[in-house]
Amino acid sequence: MKKTITAIITAALCLPLLSGCGKWLDVKPYDEIAEDDLLSTQDGFMRLLNGIYIELNDDMLYGGAMTVEMIEIMGGAYTIGSDNSIWGNYNDIASYEYDTDYWRTRFSETWNKAYSLILNCNLLLAQIDGKRELFTGDNYYIVKGEALALRAMLHFDMLRLFGPVYSRHPEATSIPYYTRYSVTPEDAQPASVIAEKVLADLTEARILLSVDPVITEGTKMEGTTDGSSNFLNYRSLRLNYYAVTGLLARANLWFGNREQAYNYAQEVIRAANSGIFPFVDRSLVTGSPEDPDRIFSSEILFALSHAQREELFNNYFDPSRLPNYVFRMDNDMFSNRIFGGTETGGNLDDYRCRVNWIATGSNRYFYKYSDMANTGDIRNTMIPMLRLGEMYLIAAETQSEDLAAGVSYINILRSNRGVNSLASLNNRLLQYEYIRELYGEGQLFFMYKRMYSPVMFSVTDSENPQPSDEIFVVPLPDSETQN
Amino acid sequence: MINSIGAKCVILHIAAVMSAVVLSCFITAENAAAQNGTSETVELSGNVTDANDGYPLIGVSVMIEGTKTGAATDLDGNWTLEIPDSPCNITFSYVGYETIVKEYTGSNASSFSKVRMTTNAMELNDVVVTGIYERKKESFTGSSATFKGDELKRIGTQNILQSLQTLDPSFRIMENTQFGSNPNTMPDIEIRGKTSVAGLREEYGTDPNQPLFILDGFETTLETVMNLNMNRVASVTILKDAASTAIYGSKASNGVVVIETKAPARGRLQLSYKGDFGLEIADLSDYNLMNASEKLQFETLAGVYTDTTGDPFNQVRLDNLRNERLKAIASGVDTYWLSEPIRTGFTHKHNLYAEGGEDKIRYGIGLSYGNVAGVMKGSDRQTLEGNIDLIYRTGKFQFSNKLTINWLNTNDPAVSFSEYAYANPYYKKRNEDGSIDKYLYYPEEGTDDYPVTNPLWNAHLNNYDTSQSFGFTNNFIFEWFILDCLRFRAKFGITKNDQDDQTRLSPLHSQFDDMEDTEKGLFTQTMIRQLNYEGDVAITFGKLIAEKHMVNAVGGFNFSNNKSQNYGYSANGFTDDQFAAPSFANNYPEGESPEYSESLRRAVSFYINGGYAYDDRYLVDVNYRLDGASMFGTGNRFRNTWSAGLGWNIHKESFLTDRTDFFQMLKIRGSVGNPGNQNFSAYQAFTTYRFNGWMTNIFGTGVIVNDLGNPDLAWQETINYDIGTDITFWGDRVNITFDYYWKDTDPLLAIISTRGSMGVTSVALNAGSQKTHGWEATLRISPVYRPHDGINWNISINATSSKSKYANIGNSFSRLNEEGQSSLVGTTRYYDGGSPTAIWAVRSAGIDPATGQELFIKKDGSYSFTYDVNDEVVVGDTQPKLEGVLGTTLYFKGLYVGCYFRYQLGGQVFNTSLFQKVENIGTEDVYNNQDKRALYDRWSLNNREAYFKGISLVQTTDKSSRFVMDENTFTGESINIGYEFPDRLIRGLKLSALSVQMTMNDIFRASSVRVERGIDYPFARSVTFSLGITF
Repeated sequence: MKKTITAIITAALCLPLLSGCGKWLDVKPYDEIAEDDLLSTQDGFMRLLNGIYIELNDDMLYGGAMTVEMIEIMGGAYTIGSDNSIWGNYNDIASYEYDTDYWRTRFSETWNKAYSLILNCNLLLAQIDGKRELFTGDNYYIVKGEALALRAMLHFDMLRLFGPVYSRHPEATSIPYYTRYSVTPEDAQPASVIAEKVLADLTEARILLSVDPVITEGTKMEGTTDGSSNFLNYRSLRLNYYAVTGLLARANLWFGNREQAYNYAQEVIRAANSGIFPFVDRSLVTGSPEDPDRIFSSEILFALSHAQREELFNNYFDPSRLPNYVFRMDNDMFSNRIFGGTETGGNLDDYRCRVNWIATGSNRYFYKYSDMANTGDIRNTMIPMLRLGEMYLIAAETQSEDLAAGVSYINILRSNRGVNSLASLNNRLLQYEYIRELYGEGQLFFMYKRMYSPVMFSVTDSENPQPSDEIFVVPLPDSETQN
Repeated sequence: MINSIGAKCVILHIAAVMSAVVLSCFITAENAAAQNGTSETVELSGNVTDANDGYPLIGVSVMIEGTKTGAATDLDGNWTLEIPDSPCNITFSYVGYETIVKEYTGSNASSFSKVRMTTNAMELNDVVVTGIYERKKESFTGSSATFKGDELKRIGTQNILQSLQTLDPSFRIMENTQFGSNPNTMPDIEIRGKTSVAGLREEYGTDPNQPLFILDGFETTLETVMNLNMNRVASVTILKDAASTAIYGSKASNGVVVIETKAPARGRLQLSYKGDFGLEIADLSDYNLMNASEKLQFETLAGVYTDTTGDPFNQVRLDNLRNERLKAIASGVDTYWLSEPIRTGFTHKHNLYAEGGEDKIRYGIGLSYGNVAGVMKGSDRQTLEGNIDLIYRTGKFQFSNKLTINWLNTNDPAVSFSEYAYANPYYKKRNEDGSIDKYLYYPEEGTDDYPVTNPLWNAHLNNYDTSQSFGFTNNFIFEWFILDCLRFRAKFGITKNDQDDQTRLSPLHSQFDDMEDTEKGLFTQTMIRQLNYEGDVAITFGKLIAEKHMVNAVGGFNFSNNKSQNYGYSANGFTDDQFAAPSFANNYPEGESPEYSESLRRAVSFYINGGYAYDDRYLVDVNYRLDGASMFGTGNRFRNTWSAGLGWNIHKESFLTDRTDFFQMLKIRGSVGNPGNQNFSAYQAFTTYRFNGWMTNIFGTGVIVNDLGNPDLAWQETINYDIGTDITFWGDRVNITFDYYWKDTDPLLAIISTRGSMGVTSVALNAGSQKTHGWEATLRISPVYRPHDGINWNISINATSSKSKYANIGNSFSRLNEEGQSSLVGTTRYYDGGSPTAIWAVRSAGIDPATGQELFIKKDGSYSFTYDVNDEVVVGDTQPKLEGVLGTTLYFKGLYVGCYFRYQLGGQVFNTSLFQKVENIGTEDVYNNQDKRALYDRWSLNNREAYFKGISLVQTTDKSSRFVMDENTFTGESINIGYEFPDRLIRGLKLSALSVQMTMNDIFRASSVRVERGIDYPFARSVTFSLGITF
């Protein structure tokens, strides 16, 4: 009998061992951050979200390729020399030779980086609903809204780069849209399907962000002084309610939804007029010529914060780089179209010229990304992603079928740039205004692609690339098609 | 959740089995008690001792034959038994001893007072030791092979693995053509081929095809096995098929190697010494390098001395350079560089072991030291190992403890062998005064030439590459012999090891030539800390019921925890060659941060094994194991392993035994099971994050995903079938073992390259399967077999052959395929239907005599001068069609001679020497010495029928079948001769045993292909003298 009991006791001892096993097997890595550990606090979610914002500053994305470098060359902003020893691979991209090894790799890198951040958004979104109780105040809505908006923005930019010219081929197969994290890939879908998803994500984000303090308190570009979290400050460094609204305007314009684009742009303009995004103060431009606010920071709906932003200036625009390459506008474009030439509305007194285009010798160089004197200034870190001026440009284009009727919006913008009104508006004049307003911000290529018009590298129309799918549609990268 | 319920069911099942086991023992005891009441009884009593050493035997079962009445001997070997006072047979049985049957006639009670039992003739080879249970080989249905330590030692003295591959056809050490016989390189080992996709090793650092090693019942590492002094080994068992490995469940799909070290023997204190003294000699016979005048001629033909810039001064310079070299050659310069880094390595190993004890306590204390000096200067491996074995037995309890403390020190040369092979023979090694110049050739200013470093320069500097480790292993086993048939065992083992790797390159090393002085020199230190522990409790039951039903059962629980941590950093900026301590470094390399990584794996398992034999004729084995492991996703954390085996001992059937005693063994057996593999990364199922350390912002730090885990990752498992037979006949003179097996690994686990839009470049996924089938056979014939005279001559041959192919992998491995296609010499591809060892290349029709161009055969059979990777087909297979060992051994009294030759037939090899050192010699390579064939047999207008293209520095050659050659090899793997001195010769020396042996390993190798082997470290031939003395 004793032995039977022994056996039973042994078995009984083993039972709790097993139930404990499951837990014992839950090993957490120590040299990396386990997901369960990270996403167990509100702070963890905020760090992940902030990690995504920080990574947007990557060279392959908006810290280079997608703002001042690759995309802006494709947008004809710079005059690229022919000497390969100076200009390297830039010659190929300026002539839209997407098939070289170098640029194939570069597009793969941009694509991979964008989608890796989309993955981060999706990992955050996959967990946030189940952990809503971790969040204080309205933070749940803000974190989720911003993550959705980031996901939409990144997809939208990949669509604009790799997708078809939407106005011509909305049903063409474009890119995959990832709404969840999974280990199986999604297939590329027609651009119109992506359009729906971009708009759906942005719309949901906008609803979630209706609690955004930016609506009542403005952008709060001053940090907290009591050492508490800045999470609800510096709203224009996050995809705030108005930034999302502005993105909706931009996206709807791209997808040909004229009325929606107008309405969203109008909403932002109204908010700006109420003082949330005031036009740059004249004194900041003209009053302190030695230290102007070159990016017109108060007008920015959304900017990245890049700790070493001065590298943009140092690596691409600084005239002291010579004899190495320096990115700048074609001299004739500058003096006969953009900031000169009576019929084009160009004027050297334009604030956008006075503070951002400085002459060295006979050439003008671009100083938008040159630092202000005060080294700790948050404005020295900002890379504009979306600004009020674009809302006026969108409103002008979408207020009615008749583009000419939009001239009033252009003229409001121009009067705040210290230049006289245009008498009328046409496509070409609108494009000049885009160049003045958004130069070096990565939007020009998309403008030409959207309008399906020639890319204005120079004043000689016959020399400018004519619109075609070959130049506007970048082939999907190798990393997508070969696996 | 479902898994946890499943696991609970299993444990209930185990409990049920255990209670049944206990109950059956209990009933037996009751029966015995019931019969004790009969009248007319006498009391028999006596004492049982070991016939060998006279010590009492405890727990011997003393039974009246044909009844259930019996008793067991006590601690002093005494027993008492009441028996009916009528003639009957009394049996004495004890595990490991011959059963004695004594007749009680009614008047010979006194003859029972002293019974001496002898250990049974069942040799160690006749027992299958699985590390969890032991089974008589005759009644086991699994496929396994057991070798005694002495047998292994006779083959070779390097390590047990080298010897195992000679003795068993299924066990293979993969030849490492890169690192040759480097004593500090761990080999790749396979039992019955691969089960996993290659390429995982690079991702995970562990070889997913490596078998499981069990040392004294505990899991251990390949390195420990390699370091183990062979003289400590009692036996090694290779478990091959599902029936034998499934008890190890999800770790077992690559086979299991079970090693038992010697346990201390009872008796007076005995001291033994074993020593091995060996010489290692480099085998450079595969090198076929040019001599000085050939090299200069080759360079001239290649246009090295012809100006291409149109600068007449340059042509003058080149002419001068060539004349200088010609002059040197004329003066007798023809340097043989390969001899420079080479030496004859003197290897010595010693093992001292003291053992003794009584019946209660036995002890053994050992000390082992080994110093393996490799064939390259500055390459050695020193091991020091101390061990204490204690066994204490009291009543029904036994405690045993094995403690091993080990220290290891390794050194590797700073300059690899290949650099000497590259050096040109027209340079002098040293100046007249014996000093060494840094450069063999330093170009004049303004030329495009590269400086050529003297390998002797870098080798003579104060560089080091050393590793030290210190650790211990303590294995404790508690056993409770509850009943004769029932045993409880608890084990706990702990292993701790700290390793410290340090490398230092002198600032004068040519690698730093282009660097600032403040950045020259490099010191790197890596520390690895490991702590593993493992525990196991098990109940074992074994009983012969009603004389015909042999029942064995084991049930248990096992848990293990393996943790390893790596720390490391680098420092640079040494100012002096001589002062090498890291304190002399100036700074850390720019942009580098300290390294740290950690890995923690945990596993738990429950297992049951059952064996049943009816009358030793019909055999059944079943295994079940439930494994849980931390590296598998929460969705797939637990996994079931099962196996079943059937066997039939035909030689025990009366229809055979009645007619003939020709067969000593005629058994057929078969098994099926699904062992798994968990040689994978610890955290592959986890999604992990890291700080994006390159920037912070006003909101603070940020994190982003680092690795995307796959929580649904399924375990890799291999369905394993085996059919085999064991035949022994003609009075034990002929022995045949044959196994046919097929394996299907499904799903494979692999790192799959993903689409860029997935957000990660690769992810661990289950993809496709790999199917293998093969056979292995061993035939041993003893033309002379007189065991009683100590005379025996054996001839043996073993052979194996297998084929593997991938299925359902689709495009999952396209990235690996592309990498292979774009790599210089990669010929491995992953396609459905392809073999893991296939050589993929474009077929070649040879060199077109008219143009000197290579003519390719496209996939559709048409010819083309254009190379297209899409025309790649299978042009060979590195796996030999037939491979094995031919051997013969002769025993004559104490003298034995053995010869073993390995043959490999029907395989192919992609000849990299021809590919890289005959063709494909580019403008940089031309300054390296090359294969002689690069000069001869090249196409030219005068030699249009040549096999190789014309000499050219700009022409690249693509991977084609022209470089694939049939490889057949024949190797002298082991030749040994030894003598065990008979008692009468050594008694005068007060020795109880004395033996000497000489062994030669890899003494020759003949191959149908001439290809450089041992690129960074040459292969070695070795000769060893061994001495064994027992006092």
